Amino acid sequence: MENEELKHKLKEQIIKYLNLLEKTPADIKDDQVLFGEELGLDSIDSVELIVLLEREYGIKIKDPKEGRKVLVDVNTMADYIKEHRTR
Amino acid sequence: MIYVHQIAAVSPQRDLLVETIDEVNESVNNILKVVEPPYEGIPLSILRRMGKAVRMGVGAALPLIKNTTVPLNGIVIGTANGGMEDCIKFLNQVIEFEEGTLTPTNFVQSTPNAIAAQLSLLSSNKGYNITHVNRGLAFENALLDVWMLLKENPSHTYLLGGVEEISSYNYNIDHLANWFKDEEVSNKKLYHSTSKGTLSGEGAAMFIVNNDPQDAIAKIDALHLMHAEDVSEVKSQLIHFLNKHLGKGELVDVFLSGESGDIRFVSFFQNCEHHMKDSTIARFKHLTGDFATVSALSLNIACQVVNKNILPDHLIKINRHKHSVNTVLIYNLHKGVQHSFMLVRK
Repeated sequence: MENEELKHKLKEQIIKYLNLLEKTPADIKDDQVLFGEELGLDSIDSVELIVLLEREYGIKIKDPKEGRKVLVDVNTMADYIKEHRTR
Repeated sequence: MIYVHQIAAVSPQRDLLVETIDEVNESVNNILKVVEPPYEGIPLSILRRMGKAVRMGVGAALPLIKNTTVPLNGIVIGTANGGMEDCIKFLNQVIEFEEGTLTPTNFVQSTPNAIAAQLSLLSSNKGYNITHVNRGLAFENALLDVWMLLKENPSHTYLLGGVEEISSYNYNIDHLANWFKDEEVSNKKLYHSTSKGTLSGEGAAMFIVNNDPQDAIAKIDALHLMHAEDVSEVKSQLIHFLNKHLGKGELVDVFLSGESGDIRFVSFFQNCEHHMKDSTIARFKHLTGDFATVSALSLNIACQVVNKNILPDHLIKINRHKHSVNTVLIYNLHKGVQHSFMLVRK
């Protein structure tokens, strides 16, 4: 349940940080690729997501290779948050 | 002279030549915010990142660019502040997050040239691209730039525009500096007000212009900009302007005044009106509020007036309308110092 709550909150934060007009948390599937055609995210959005992780969960991603593994979908982001969050 | 072929505006009114005063959108807390259109044609992925100034500017200009049948040689925009709201968001983040990781979007959207740049990207226009930021004469300087460009390149066509958004930061600073009214005044009773300050407004107006008279909706015949604090100096420059640009015996049909309901500056407008004894005196700031590039919206109104030959009653202060409107002289004043005249003809 805690995991589902985290994912729901994360989806809300993604929508807020990326200003995804007309999207609701229900529109983003847990395993939906973030940088695919469906959501239409790009490189600027990846910076926004890194800022989101830092501000909301106190996680600093400095290595771009690490970022590529984390910012795959909501599942990978949530797993990384559970393991590394400082707040 | 410059010929205007297409016009578009995003303004506090659905239509700047709205027929009756009852149909005029009313100000709220001394602010006239724009009625934003659906912004069709802007990809959602780009629209979601746009600040209001960029959104309004692109939203007004993009349909014109798409409708233009001749190649566009440049984009020239006037805006005093650009995306001030996003600029302040970015600066606040610098403080709030102690100069740590910052999100780039607010910064990218906040520079004044983001409007012209975004238009260039969306229309793949690689021509001249510039933004003028000369406060209350930013739009007039953009127009002057286009004027000179067309003298150098008579066959060219340009997109000309003026854009301004209301930001809470700017509104508060300007309010403290007495540029906006303390007591609540409806825009529908703006000219009855006897207090200092005016109403805040925002908007974007875009024009496709070139040297080709064929199918033009209006022509801008003359432009004059000046800095002055003296009423008599403005009047003498008006007389000089009219002597220089009107033919012998020719009259201005409509004097479109930028009177703003600020008691401190009424004398500027009255002095000019006294000289325009044969012209209908009209006003427009009850439709737009006041802002640095409001003259772009006044030019939109003037183009429509000469093109459609209509002048709604609520714009008219003194009616001397005897025949069709062929000539409109716009006089605008920003913050008591920056003045401009624009002569628009059919």
